[in-house]
Amino acid sequence: MSDLQLPHINYAALAPMLILFGAACAGILIEAFVPRERRYPVQLGLSLAGVVAAGVAVITQAGTRTITAGGAIAVDGPTVFLQGAILALGLVALLFVGERSLEAGGPFVAQAALIAGSEPDRRQVVRPGATEVYPLMLFAIGGMELFVAANDLLTMFVALEVFSLPLYLMCALARRRRLLSQEAALKYFLLGSYSSGFFLFGIALIYGFAGRVDFAGIHAAALGSDRSNALLYGGLALLSIGLLFKAAAAPFHVWTPDVYQGAPTPVTGFMAACTKVAAFGALLRVLYVAFDRVSWDYRPVLGVVAILTMLVGAVFAVTQTDLKRLLAYSSIANAGYLLVGVLAMSKDGLSSSMFYLVAYGFTVLAAFGTLTLVRDADGEANHLSRWAGLGRRSPVFAAAFTFLLLAFAGIPLTSGFTSKFAVFAAALDDGQTWLVVAGVITSMVLAFPYLRVVVMMWLSEPAESTPTVSIPGVLTSTGLAIGVAATLVLGLVPAPLLDLSTKAAEFVR
Amino acid sequence: MSYLDSVWLLIAIPLVSAGVLLVLGRRADRWGHWLGCASVGVAFVLGLSYFITLRGQDDRSHSVDLYQYMPVGGLKVDVGLLFDPLSAVFVLLITGVGFLIHVYAVGYMAGDGGRRRFFGYFNLFVAAMLLLVLGNNYVMLYVGWEGVGVASYLLIAFWYTRPSAATAGKKAFVMNRVGDAALVIAIFLMFATLGSTQYADVFAGVGRLGEGTLLALGLLLLLGACGKSGQFPLQAWLPDAMEGPTPVSALIHAATMVTAGVYLIARSNPIFNANSTAQTFVVAVGALTLLIGCIIGCAKDDIKRVLAWSTVSQIGYMFLGVGLGGGAYALAIIHLLAHGFFKAGLFLGAGSVMHAMHDQTDIRRFGGLWRYMPITYGTFLVAWLAIIGLPPLSGYFTKEPIIVAAFEREGWTAWLFGWAALLGAAITAFYMTRLFWLTFHGPKRWTDDIEHPHESPPVMTVPLVLLAVGSVAAGGLMVSALSVTDWLTPVLGEHAEREAVMPHGVITALSIVFTVLGGALAWALFRNGTALVEQPAGPVVTAARKNLYTDAFNEAVFEKPGIYLTRALVYLDSKGIDGLVNALAATVGGGSGRLRRLQTGFVRSYATSILTGALLVVAAFLAVNYGWLS
Amino acid sequence: MSTVLAAAAGEMATGEKVVFWILGPIALIGALGMVLARNAVHSALWLVLTMLSLGVFYVMQAGPFIGMVQIIVYTGAIMMLFLFVLMLVGRDASDSLIETLRGQRVAAVALGLGFAGLVCTGVYRALRDTPPAGLEQANENGNVQGIASLLFTKYVFAFEVTSALLITAAVGAMLLAHVERRKEDKRDQAARMRERFAPGNYPGPKAGPGVYATSDSVATPAMLPDGTSADRSISRILPTRELTSSEKTPKGTER
Repeated sequence: MSDLQLPHINYAALAPMLILFGAACAGILIEAFVPRERRYPVQLGLSLAGVVAAGVAVITQAGTRTITAGGAIAVDGPTVFLQGAILALGLVALLFVGERSLEAGGPFVAQAALIAGSEPDRRQVVRPGATEVYPLMLFAIGGMELFVAANDLLTMFVALEVFSLPLYLMCALARRRRLLSQEAALKYFLLGSYSSGFFLFGIALIYGFAGRVDFAGIHAAALGSDRSNALLYGGLALLSIGLLFKAAAAPFHVWTPDVYQGAPTPVTGFMAACTKVAAFGALLRVLYVAFDRVSWDYRPVLGVVAILTMLVGAVFAVTQTDLKRLLAYSSIANAGYLLVGVLAMSKDGLSSSMFYLVAYGFTVLAAFGTLTLVRDADGEANHLSRWAGLGRRSPVFAAAFTFLLLAFAGIPLTSGFTSKFAVFAAALDDGQTWLVVAGVITSMVLAFPYLRVVVMMWLSEPAESTPTVSIPGVLTSTGLAIGVAATLVLGLVPAPLLDLSTKAAEFVR
Repeated sequence: MSYLDSVWLLIAIPLVSAGVLLVLGRRADRWGHWLGCASVGVAFVLGLSYFITLRGQDDRSHSVDLYQYMPVGGLKVDVGLLFDPLSAVFVLLITGVGFLIHVYAVGYMAGDGGRRRFFGYFNLFVAAMLLLVLGNNYVMLYVGWEGVGVASYLLIAFWYTRPSAATAGKKAFVMNRVGDAALVIAIFLMFATLGSTQYADVFAGVGRLGEGTLLALGLLLLLGACGKSGQFPLQAWLPDAMEGPTPVSALIHAATMVTAGVYLIARSNPIFNANSTAQTFVVAVGALTLLIGCIIGCAKDDIKRVLAWSTVSQIGYMFLGVGLGGGAYALAIIHLLAHGFFKAGLFLGAGSVMHAMHDQTDIRRFGGLWRYMPITYGTFLVAWLAIIGLPPLSGYFTKEPIIVAAFEREGWTAWLFGWAALLGAAITAFYMTRLFWLTFHGPKRWTDDIEHPHESPPVMTVPLVLLAVGSVAAGGLMVSALSVTDWLTPVLGEHAEREAVMPHGVITALSIVFTVLGGALAWALFRNGTALVEQPAGPVVTAARKNLYTDAFNEAVFEKPGIYLTRALVYLDSKGIDGLVNALAATVGGGSGRLRRLQTGFVRSYATSILTGALLVVAAFLAVNYGWLS
Repeated sequence: MSTVLAAAAGEMATGEKVVFWILGPIALIGALGMVLARNAVHSALWLVLTMLSLGVFYVMQAGPFIGMVQIIVYTGAIMMLFLFVLMLVGRDASDSLIETLRGQRVAAVALGLGFAGLVCTGVYRALRDTPPAGLEQANENGNVQGIASLLFTKYVFAFEVTSALLITAAVGAMLLAHVERRKEDKRDQAARMRERFAPGNYPGPKAGPGVYATSDSVATPAMLPDGTSADRSISRILPTRELTSSEKTPKGTER
């Protein structure tokens, strides 16, 4: 028996993930040993510190290009950029998650198992919510970090599960409308497992083709292998189904509206921003590193998926009356725009997609953050008709939300314009005119529902039942300020971040 | 590194101050107004130092490239600033007069709970206006243009609880949109034909453009300028904008923002110089508007509305100037600067009077105020003499050359525009004298609740006095000692002496005589006051009271079609957009109902949908693999 | 050399073939049975069948470790736990199985068959002429050792990260299922006894509902010796059923 050659592990490169997982485990211990009334500040502080520390660890890795941990982890420009993006967005999402001044005890329920509406359940209305959310957040962020850094399909699959499971759980923890929230979580869980099955099946086929699951090996095998290419294409098809599901691309988007609507709003924001970064980060790595040799073959297929996604997002958004569902469909359409950038299959495509992820992430976080502020006695009032005349009641709030909607609609001087422009320009340069035409047309369709909200807020008379806009606490205001400022700054001065993403846009193989 | 590289500070300082004031909220209530004043004051001092530096340079133009906006693809918009003689004088006007009006507003808004918010918007306006005049390309100009539009909208509707203020704000917003749309199209046209919006590139490329393109460009820019500057046919929003607080009227709707249109045309002078038809349009708009403005001004009884129509009319003079081309560009700019002083003085004086009279604005209810508010009276007197153009006050030095220049055109148009300008001068003297006399002299016609009017506090009167000094001295100084005409030559071109159809001396004499006659007539009619209510009048006065039916004109030409368009859009919205959705849905799955039914809420049907997608994707990939498609 | 090895490995032993053709259909039947069974316990048992078959497959294919793990962990531990839970919760077949979505079943079946057909055809066509390879190398040092060396070299990070998955799962189960009782809601055995024998409470078994020749409804109260009806004999939530006079009159043979 030969000696086992233990792999060299570059701990500095793994530090962001190790810090997050360590902090998450510490959080679990805190749940066990710290008195209940002191858990909230401790957990919140720990998770914020963990994310910041991981961010520092990511920054120190700038410029690193290495493959470590036995070939399982690749730390390169895109990894560092996307990990940084996930941490930055995750930090803002944590601020919304940690907010407790809007509602007694925060947006999460303490004991989800109590029968909704029963006597003990009514008693827990004023009790502080579950603090297990914070370790779960850290696990999810850590899993996402691993997802974008994974250099083989197996690690990627484990990472997929590691960040999905906490998300399923957090979806079920809404304090208000809990049955809806639990239904959403169950749907997400079932469909997520379903798509994981496809992903796993895809890994099996790819393994059958290449005999390996690491990306360099697949890349080498795609050049010439004695196995049938049907395994390669079948495997890629199934893999991409798993990834497109997480990215919420049509027709794998069906879970999105229900889950976005049912989940607690801060969690929805987190999913819309960070999950999207993670899913597209992984998709970029799979397509650019492992399967770049066959890009001419899969591009038409994924192009059709992109167009379908944009169409579905835009067309369905038009008829929505619930703001969370509206934003869900908008996020589906944005997945389509991102796919346009991904399919540019060039350095520009990579960098502009990464830019888009950051820009969109901040905007969508701020948008969901503002949704948490409009409340009445029953919690958040998300129905569009309830927002009539909010511009008269609270102009500052309505102005901020209008700005975010304009960013979604891609009006110049917002990050929505610069990011869409970057993505479309990259696709045009690469000759994907058909995708850009579809993108522009759907953007115009999509502007309509956004503007309808704007018109509703400013030009309608406030009704008796118009809900009030709560005064946000420090955490939410900070998060909103960051989100709105990022939307503005990336619209005014996009060049530095674009430069950064261009510099980072080189995978290691 | 030149000292002028830091010119971006001019924009940054008021912007940061605005941010602080608006973000900090009530925490800044106690000291916010002083921060607002200080930021503009600092900007003025900085602007002065830049101005002096620029004077000391041989190359009187400094361009600063800040950064490239978007490095992706073919679109190249550089964010850069241009500090040259033209922007320099605008910077001084905006920050200088702006500072005085800020200080005045500290007193004027003292009793208002929203004073901090007011100063926040005010600073925002200053920053946007500076961006407008300092940008080195049309896109940045447009950003500033929209910025001042937003600030103006916010400030007009500052007392948004008053329905009239909210309506006026909306009116300004909509009318400005028309002009802005024209400007945007002009910018796109530049992009399409020249591939750049940098001033330098555009002006260098004018020669390559066809006649038709140039005319279109000129007319679009003119329409844009008309929207912002309240020129015919987009003049109606400006008088309504007086619903805002008086300092707003003084700074935005008299001294600075409304002159942005003049700046736009002066800045684009190579485009207009290359196309005489476009120039003629500018002259015609200017002449028509100056007459419309002063005729309506005669019939109004609201002190701020009279001044607003007077602004419309005075900007008409400036348009006349920039339209005449050649050296008249500089004359228009000088008149703009002088106007900034005396019109700001007039508005602030009016504000002071309103302050004393419990916000009464009807001049029929004033009278005999000179005894009670001597400082306001003195400054108003100076500004009045300046605006009607009596020597040696500034209006004389700046308006009279424009009249002369109008007579210097070729052919019959010289007579037409020249006499229009002269007539305008006479009517200006008439309505301004009427305003002055009814306000400060004659019998008291106050409402019963006023017992003893009082002079305003020093924080308001000191700016008034400074503006009055400016009104006296600015014109003469600019023409002689400072020779602003020469200073502007690098930007606007040489002043070529041309033959007028009448000798210069005759024109000058005529303008003075017309002015005195107009003033004397007003004095004769109104020295004993006027009736307290509106009297029945002949068709001319009635027409003037009704804004010369320009509102009716607008209604017929713009509003009615607009309403029909809106109705059609609403119809489309209810039928068409849904129809669009239906059509899209029909192509996808046969009727929007069925499409929506896909989202049933049942997890098993979602799984079916995912499975369908999976089947199709796998089939497509296998098809690619086995070459079934090819 | 390698071609010889490949050829040798390509030959499937007859025994393996026989086992496959017996257990393959059984595994398939188990899977179908799991989906189609109306009773949750039956479903679980069908699944056990499939998993056992798979475990045997693994062992047959020179993967004894994974085969044993499949049998011990999945069928042995997890499925049995599953069954326990089902038994504890109470097996309940009352879930409505009527499909409310029109065409859902047809679509699901058609799509499922289509997908299976597509993937099977694809894989079959791809692997028809492909010799298996690499089994010898993988099991060079023994199967368990081979897996161990992979887990501790190539996939060490993924392996470690799986712990995060398990922690999350445990936390999630507690978070979603755990209900804390307040102190005052907790009652010990002594207290319950005291309550039971407290005055006003009837400690003995309750009388059953009345049984008559014409009515044996649970809503019919029993009759006490004095002829009055015993309210205690019927459930509190049921409305007391009034007896008709013909039912009330004693029925006997003495008529």
